Amino acid sequence: MYAYNQYDQALVDQRVDQYRDQTRRYLAGEIPEDEFRILRLMNGLYIQRLAPMLRVAIPYGLMKSQQLRAMAEISRVYDKGYGHFTTRQNMQFNWPTLESVPDILADLAKVQMHAIQTSGACIRNTTTDPFAGVSADEIEDTRPWCELIRQWSSLHPEFTYLPRKFKIAVSGSASDRAASQVHDVGLHLYRNDAGEVGFEVIVGGGLGRTPVIGKTVKKFLQPQELLSYLEAVLRVYNLNGRRDNKYKARIKILVNAVGVDTFGEMVEAEWEQLKGGDLRLPWSEIDRVKGFFTGPDYLAAEHAEHDLSRAFAEYPQFATWYRQNTRDHKQGGYRIVVVALKNQLQAPGDVSHQQMDGMAALADEFSFGELRSTHDQNLVLADVAQRDLLALWLKLQDIDLARANVGTLTDMINCPGLDFCSLANAETLVLSRQINETFDDIDYQYDIGDIQLKISGCINACGHHHVGHIGVLGVEKGGKQVYQFTLGGSASEDASLGKTLGRSIEQDQVVVVIGQILDVYVELRETDETFLQLVRRVGFAPFKERVYGTHQRSAA
Amino acid sequence: MALIKDQQLSLDHATTPELRFADWLSDGQNNADAVLANGDDDLASLLTHANKLSMIALEFDTFADGRGFSMARILRRAGYQGEIRAVGDVAMDRIDFMQRVGFNAFELRDDQEVTEALSKFGEVTVHFQPSADGKGPAYMA
Repeated sequence: MYAYNQYDQALVDQRVDQYRDQTRRYLAGEIPEDEFRILRLMNGLYIQRLAPMLRVAIPYGLMKSQQLRAMAEISRVYDKGYGHFTTRQNMQFNWPTLESVPDILADLAKVQMHAIQTSGACIRNTTTDPFAGVSADEIEDTRPWCELIRQWSSLHPEFTYLPRKFKIAVSGSASDRAASQVHDVGLHLYRNDAGEVGFEVIVGGGLGRTPVIGKTVKKFLQPQELLSYLEAVLRVYNLNGRRDNKYKARIKILVNAVGVDTFGEMVEAEWEQLKGGDLRLPWSEIDRVKGFFTGPDYLAAEHAEHDLSRAFAEYPQFATWYRQNTRDHKQGGYRIVVVALKNQLQAPGDVSHQQMDGMAALADEFSFGELRSTHDQNLVLADVAQRDLLALWLKLQDIDLARANVGTLTDMINCPGLDFCSLANAETLVLSRQINETFDDIDYQYDIGDIQLKISGCINACGHHHVGHIGVLGVEKGGKQVYQFTLGGSASEDASLGKTLGRSIEQDQVVVVIGQILDVYVELRETDETFLQLVRRVGFAPFKERVYGTHQRSAA
Repeated sequence: MALIKDQQLSLDHATTPELRFADWLSDGQNNADAVLANGDDDLASLLTHANKLSMIALEFDTFADGRGFSMARILRRAGYQGEIRAVGDVAMDRIDFMQRVGFNAFELRDDQEVTEALSKFGEVTVHFQPSADGKGPAYMA
């Protein structure tokens, strides 16, 4: 993966000093509250309901084992011994003190990490496919491009006071594992009819209060002009995005207001001034960055391969885990391993410091010392030889991370909700606990198969409920926490927004309703038909009938 | 109000114009060569007339309004060589970025300490993107 040179290191070190001074001046009363709020957010520091929350950047979800170890240590020294992986592949600490944050940032800088632009109205951490560079269905590795975007967007002087936050996702496979169509900008690496690799640029997607699927603004962008084009998009947005209402300030509102064709013309007009200029990436620079992502020193296939049939016979649960939690690798004899951060006792995405240290050790032992965080709040060991899989599985059990539920109902996305977040209207963690208790039969989960349950505690949609096959949105009505269901959403290449099923459901009925929805699926499905396919085929009527025809306790 | 110009405390300088760009336009553009503009003004029109102006003061009603950053950047790209002065909600934690995009004068908010503000230029010396200051990433060199 990318390693800092002296420039990257100087930038994060100087940024720590800068933020330390800003914190000092704030505590001395020299920076007004509302102004410091913006400065701390630029460094990922929120003030939550109970304590500050620090969001640490994990650029495009890639980390080294020593970086995860450093985060484990930070959680011990400055927090309560755990951390939380977010849907933007970042790490959140929920209990640091405001005064300690400069020291945390200094510790992070020692392992080439930071919290720059993890919040605020600026360009946020670029996200990508957690299987980048190893997936069998990949067209081109997205990571070098993410790194080039990271550098260009870091402390960009012009785009630090945008109308609103700005999120970029990059996908390089036919399967979109980066939710790129629900980002401010989605970039699709693909090969055109002439055989050249370049980007399709999608703009104006997003979730939140106004969920929108992005629209294509450029069909084919030469890769050398990636940054010049992004700069043009950002400049048009910075000058023209609405600033009178923060709920109408994202680029999706601008794109919808003027239409994607007009928006595209505005970008082209600006881009005319930029393309071929300073921002055009020389191939030497592209190749330099690609050189960091050449892949590890794989064993020859005959040494990595291993006949697992005896192990499967001896450990049936290992066979299940292999089927559920590992994926095809482009390299013969290797598997991609998804480690679900979705066990029964922890909130989705939460990891204890022991688990962080444990995962770092397993990465060193079995996956070339690297890990990835995923959009759906799991971890990935991307390069595990088949011969090591059994040993890895056994050791994952020691740290309670061997649950074979990737892609199932309990592999849900969940924002922290009212337990932590000052924006939330409703609790979400109680739902994940109830779901784990109610649907604890793993064979039932396997029978239901591929399903994405996504839960948000408020309309800001950090839990991505709009694009869940089943989405749950917590709202407050008349002093009570109630939940709205949506069905039929998807964040993948077939992206779609879920539609509301009907009136809200009381908290203690949420698992009942999920059970009813799944019953309908089981009764009506055809052979090999997934839940999402069935919803698209049969529509909402049978679900409405089941949930509301008999449901007596719905909220008004 | 203290004014920093070309990275120094300025003691002798033109006062910030009160004449708004839109009024200057409608008044025939002859009565002054310095105007006050902000993010609501028409940038294309400002570019057309910039060569008649020795100073463009870009006003930040609130520090969160970043339009002035792109306006300064585009004015410099178009070759404007007069003074671009940041006025309004201007504080030391933004002047380095403002300088990068093309501002060369800063009318500091009243609560800002000038000596401390001057120390904020170049607080971060690494630049990963080109801007109006001619600096940029290593591969551009």
